Amino acid sequence: MEKVAVTGLGIVAPSGIGRRQFWANIKSGRSFIKKITRFDASKYPSHIAGQIDDLEKYSHVSERLLKKIDAFSHMALIASELALQDAGIDIKKENPNLVGIFLGNAIGGWLYAETELRDLYIEGRDGVSPYMASAWFPAAPQGQVSIYYGIKGFSKTIVADRASSLGAIGYARKTLNKGKLNMILAGGMEAPVTPYALLCCNTYGGLSTDNAHPESAYRPFDKNRRGFVIAEGAGIVVMEPKERPLERGANILAYICGYGTSCDGQNRINPDPQGRQLARAIKMALTDAGITADEIDYISLDGLAVDIWDNSELKAIKNIFGKRVKDIPISCPKSMFGNLLGASGAVDLIITILAMENDLVAPTINLDTPACPGLNYIIKEAKEHKINKALIISRGRGGINSVLVVEKV
Amino acid sequence: MDTKTKVKDVLVNLLKVKPEELKDDVKLCDGIGVDSTEMVEALIALEKAFNTKLSSNEIGKFSTINEIEKVIQSKISK
Repeated sequence: MEKVAVTGLGIVAPSGIGRRQFWANIKSGRSFIKKITRFDASKYPSHIAGQIDDLEKYSHVSERLLKKIDAFSHMALIASELALQDAGIDIKKENPNLVGIFLGNAIGGWLYAETELRDLYIEGRDGVSPYMASAWFPAAPQGQVSIYYGIKGFSKTIVADRASSLGAIGYARKTLNKGKLNMILAGGMEAPVTPYALLCCNTYGGLSTDNAHPESAYRPFDKNRRGFVIAEGAGIVVMEPKERPLERGANILAYICGYGTSCDGQNRINPDPQGRQLARAIKMALTDAGITADEIDYISLDGLAVDIWDNSELKAIKNIFGKRVKDIPISCPKSMFGNLLGASGAVDLIITILAMENDLVAPTINLDTPACPGLNYIIKEAKEHKINKALIISRGRGGINSVLVVEKV
Repeated sequence: MDTKTKVKDVLVNLLKVKPEELKDDVKLCDGIGVDSTEMVEALIALEKAFNTKLSSNEIGKFSTINEIEKVIQSKISK
């Protein structure tokens, strides 16, 4: 399948809003995980998260619209605007029928839903905002961004737990390859720092409860790992057929050249301990990209910091990359700001593209003693390394495997 | 506060529009782009503000401020 161009990045994350601020924090290896302050979360087993406190400062969204949408739609609107600006695209000049949108989300917009459900039970039907119906569900941000920009081409929301947004990007490429669209906004958004969403994430059981040490709580692949930490935000990119940026004189940031997906199909929560289906997804992505495993020179890991997930992930990459796995730089930058669940894969793609641009690999932090030593872990701070072709792994509950191959221009 | 001013006040606060955007004789959907969902919210807010019952047959997005004032005036003066 043809590769497609990425021409704009829009990032809204605890480590920063906008590519410049975000990358400055990522390369320095600074943690942005803190105690949750938005509501009293002290009774929850895990009450730390990557949070965004100054969303309004970056917002272009009117108050009239804001009161109708959940925070995850707000984040998607900001990330979309940043991505379009980065791509130098004035969407009003585009043919709306040829613009598409593919977003990924795992849990929906619970801040809005919780507030309105509380009002339903306290005040009755009249207490509920009529926007409740259109604000909470996972496809709401896709709808809001479409309406905001008048997008009229193909649109879709992928709900596949933490693998949602990488899946959205994979499907966006597939759709662009059909030759019927000029551009697609693709990525994901998530806003799990709400009382009910946090409760669900805690019930799931994979969260770190090291609340006393938020900055070091998320430690993927470390011997003393204790689970992951949730985060909120959005990552959205502009994707175009590879010839189009050249025609409009625009800068290409990277190419998406392969995608593979599979599912383990054996447990409600955990993945296959051997990572066999993940290995198959990696193979599918490489085949789709028309390259061999030898050409990959960076791997962005999913890194859930849960034994069975980290171990099976490393088994899968060892299976595919063989002895060479010891040489390939690998990292899990989300250890710095938390796991954006359904938006995590898109954020990983953005970090990988920024790493390619800057010839620096973003680090994993808190990886002091690898549980599985002997691999080329990039730790603490960014390390100089030219990345030409990278592999990004994103995995969802029960073993949903999404793998993307990205190529430098 | 007279009825018209109060109606405008409710709509301005609810819809986050500027007072000068609300013209007395322009349909809400044309003047400030009110959609049907916003109108549901507006009806509830007006009911609360005037302590009366209003139906979507009486007031809708095609109503003007003048028409809304008339409907509410007739209800509260009964």
